[in-house]
Amino acid sequence: MTGGPSATARRESAGPALPKLFPNLRPRPRWRELWLLLLVGITLVVGSISLEATRQAQAAAAAGEPAAGLPDLALFHPQPLVLYLVGLLAAHLAQVLSGRRMDQILLPAVGLLGGISLLLMQRLPQGLAGGFGGLGQTQLIWLLLAIGIVTAIAVTVRSDSWLRLYKYTWAAAGISLLLTTFVLGRDVNGQRLTLDVGPVSGQPSELLKVILVVFLAGYLSENRALLVEQSTRLGPIRLPPLPYLAPMVAMWAIALGIVVISRDLGAALLFFVVFLTLLYVATARHSYVVLGLGLFLAGGALMYSLFGHVQTRVDIWLDPFADPQGAGYQVIQALYAFGRGGLIGTGLGGGLPTIGGNMPIPAIHTDFPLAALGEELGLIGILAILGLYLVVIERGLRIAAAAADDFRAILAAGLALVVGVQAFIIAAGNLKLIPLTGITLPFVSYGGSSLVANAVVVGLLLALSDKGVEPPPPPKPPGRRLGRLLDRGAR
Amino acid sequence: MDPVALSLWILRLAFLTLLYLFLFAVVRVLVRDLRAAAREPGSELGRLVVAASPEGEPPLGGVFALDAVTTLGRDVNNTIVVDDAFASSEHAALTFRGRTWYVEDLGSTNGTYVNGSPVDGVAPVAFGDELQIGQVRLRLERARR
Repeated sequence: MTGGPSATARRESAGPALPKLFPNLRPRPRWRELWLLLLVGITLVVGSISLEATRQAQAAAAAGEPAAGLPDLALFHPQPLVLYLVGLLAAHLAQVLSGRRMDQILLPAVGLLGGISLLLMQRLPQGLAGGFGGLGQTQLIWLLLAIGIVTAIAVTVRSDSWLRLYKYTWAAAGISLLLTTFVLGRDVNGQRLTLDVGPVSGQPSELLKVILVVFLAGYLSENRALLVEQSTRLGPIRLPPLPYLAPMVAMWAIALGIVVISRDLGAALLFFVVFLTLLYVATARHSYVVLGLGLFLAGGALMYSLFGHVQTRVDIWLDPFADPQGAGYQVIQALYAFGRGGLIGTGLGGGLPTIGGNMPIPAIHTDFPLAALGEELGLIGILAILGLYLVVIERGLRIAAAAADDFRAILAAGLALVVGVQAFIIAAGNLKLIPLTGITLPFVSYGGSSLVANAVVVGLLLALSDKGVEPPPPPKPPGRRLGRLLDRGAR
Repeated sequence: MDPVALSLWILRLAFLTLLYLFLFAVVRVLVRDLRAAAREPGSELGRLVVAASPEGEPPLGGVFALDAVTTLGRDVNNTIVVDDAFASSEHAALTFRGRTWYVEDLGSTNGTYVNGSPVDGVAPVAFGDELQIGQVRLRLERARR
């Protein structure tokens, strides 16, 4: 061979100079996801056509013309919907190219929820939120950003050690975020939830829920054996080991702090319920749940007797008709909207016209999207949408069951449950099943913080569902100091 | 019924039908997935993965599905034979009681270690923990479902 040594030299010099962008690109087809995404596309296109036809009929009726012939089959503001569907397809292709064996159902299920959100935001009065030319346009931008985040996390995250190893760092970051909001946050509608960082404003509680789940997964997986087996006996009652109750009490105190300082009942409820559920998932002990519920009831009663804003919420829930034009107005209008919707709804765009340029329900795009959907899609439509949340939960629990170790199992279960519990809390609040708390309906409500945080959740779930790559968990520090102290004390 | 109202009605129903068609397609996939998982041998309670084995028995990277009681040692009558110069013939036992795995040292000469700390009598083992018997290290993992 002529150029033996020089070829070797060239290879050596070319090695570091040209970093390979795609080291081993092995595409893996995801036909199931593509097929489901196709169904999503068809569904959303038909929804958009239905919206446009209703609009045409309304316009004709408003002009006083007799309904002439069939409506044109056109899309209602086609550009955002097309962009959204292209975004979903791009996410699909990126996952195919990454070659990972990830879940194929989460993206279509969440994509359908996002698409319904887009249709709803296009249909609501555009003046409800400013910036980027109206409600629909702004929501489209956030949705596309969310798809980008899901894809980026799903394709790039191949190890969970950055979550696993730094759980106390994450907890510290979460608590400092919470304290920053307490101190520097801006009050909106009497709730201190919004944090302004330069030109960007956001609701940290949405991101906090992800951090909470990461921390709990780390803490519970490390102490699972001790939490399960040890117990303190109080006569006939077997209680969990007392030192390990400290986190539960701390969590309870944090939830109460959120209620008192930022007046955010929704986030407090969400955090505490997710904490209890994960504790049960990790230990399978009923006593924790009973104890937690007891603490919750005691805390709720305490808050109710001490704070006016909690009393208002509960009083509205018990009897909204006591003050139908004031405090109870929002909840009553939501109930009327569900009533108008009936079994199959009025059709997209067919809901009650605006009153004086506003929708009859205040904050319909953030807190009451379920009421808007209930009016236009009816009971049947609402059940389908709640079914989509069940699908997300099922996937999360399935990923948890297939996980290799406790940390990943608890993390996957927690991520799915945080979405499911949040959807349940706000849906039940809309339906007057529990007192209304102002949190968002995941993937559907208008708002960037919510979409971004839930995109992180879905991205992590997809990354965790990968069955191909299986990096061994990093070695743990020998022994658990607290556990050894306990053992010594017991002897 | 006038044609406009009728067509609106059809479009509305089509949208709702498609929503359910999507849900049906998803649920069919989910059910198939769950059936497939149930068909796999499911009695497995956990698995041991060999993380280090200088003398080649058990083989490095080997995976053992665990029953409720598993004994480890150099003797051939053990469930998992650990052929290592520093392992005793009846070295340790792994047992699943209720909800947790425990490792018991059966009076071995060189001791049993969990994540590097010696086992004194019986110790709980969590998934992801590493057992050390002689020079052989074994990682306990959850069963795949």
